[in-house]
Amino acid sequence: MLLILKLIFSNFKFLALSVLIFSSMMIILSLISEFIFLEPYFVTHIPSGSELGFILIILLSGLSALVIPMNLFRITHLKNSKQKMSGSIFGAIVGSAAGACSCGPIGFAVISTFGSVGATATAFLTNYEIPIRIIAIMILVITYFTTIKSLKTECEVQF
Amino acid sequence: MNKKSGIIGIVVISIIVGIVASMSLSADETFDVDMTRTHGSISTAMGSPILGDPLAPVTIVEFGDYQCHQCYNWFHDTKPMIMRDYIETGKANLVFVDFAFLGKDSPKAAQATYCADDQNMYWEYHNSLYTSQESKIDNGWASSERLKAFAFNLNFDMEMFNECLDSGKYSKRVQYNSQQARDAGVRGTPGFFIIGPDFEHPIGGAQPFSVFKRVLDTMI
Repeated sequence: MLLILKLIFSNFKFLALSVLIFSSMMIILSLISEFIFLEPYFVTHIPSGSELGFILIILLSGLSALVIPMNLFRITHLKNSKQKMSGSIFGAIVGSAAGACSCGPIGFAVISTFGSVGATATAFLTNYEIPIRIIAIMILVITYFTTIKSLKTECEVQF
Repeated sequence: MNKKSGIIGIVVISIIVGIVASMSLSADETFDVDMTRTHGSISTAMGSPILGDPLAPVTIVEFGDYQCHQCYNWFHDTKPMIMRDYIETGKANLVFVDFAFLGKDSPKAAQATYCADDQNMYWEYHNSLYTSQESKIDNGWASSERLKAFAFNLNFDMEMFNECLDSGKYSKRVQYNSQQARDAGVRGTPGFFIIGPDFEHPIGGAQPFSVFKRVLDTMI
């Protein structure tokens, strides 16, 4: 497993992509979830009771940063199927969407644009934020292990 | 002739019905507010009573929704320190203006606070809602029955409260407040305007006390 990770992330492009995915997801999700504020001053703040939500954001960002470059490696270097790639993207998007709405500007925009349908969607994503993020993390974990498994087989055959 | 008198009759009846309807509507929506009350560029006439010294040099206008969890966070994490250091010391006061957009129970909860105000218990009821808030939107915690139960726990005159809530007496007031939020450019809750003698400062979101302190200290 470590050899495969070394093989992929020794390539600067994949390492840079991983860092980019992790940092951008962390920043965007922290802004949306109001763990970071930019105005009127830059400030970070984790309200009491929101610690689990913050940990899930770290896990989600970390796994996305791991799994997406791995699958890109499969596609670009081994010319393999894009099936697992869609799994990793799906996991990242589902996890990000959960809690993105709530009572912040995104929720307000969704409700203002889509009316009662938007309000229902916002309520669902807010009410089930934690379970949805856990499911997204599970999808990413499964994708990670299946990708490692297939890379092991494919690399043995190719190299 | 018959046709003409028929039309006149319909017009007369329509006018009478219109007058009666408007009279009953205005009777339902009569409440004791100072329509000229503004803070900075914001009309707070239909908002909450002022919390703290009305003559304080700085006013914090909070736009909030009773079902918003970030508002709950601000209420529990930041507001107590603002109360202690600024409101109870007379340096600032606070006005809450409803921005009830999150769910179907949000406007009803906001209306209930004004029914509580009829019994001079606005802030007690407001605090009770943010203390009792559950994290799920529209799961029933702010249904009419629960809103009445909160009132009952505060020893309200229940006949008066139920009549007020069931009649939708304050529905237009809450709509007006939500429109004020939109007009002020608020795009989520909680949203704040810190209004000092010389200028006003917006703060978006449930920001920590340190941010409010920095802004408030520049104004006092």
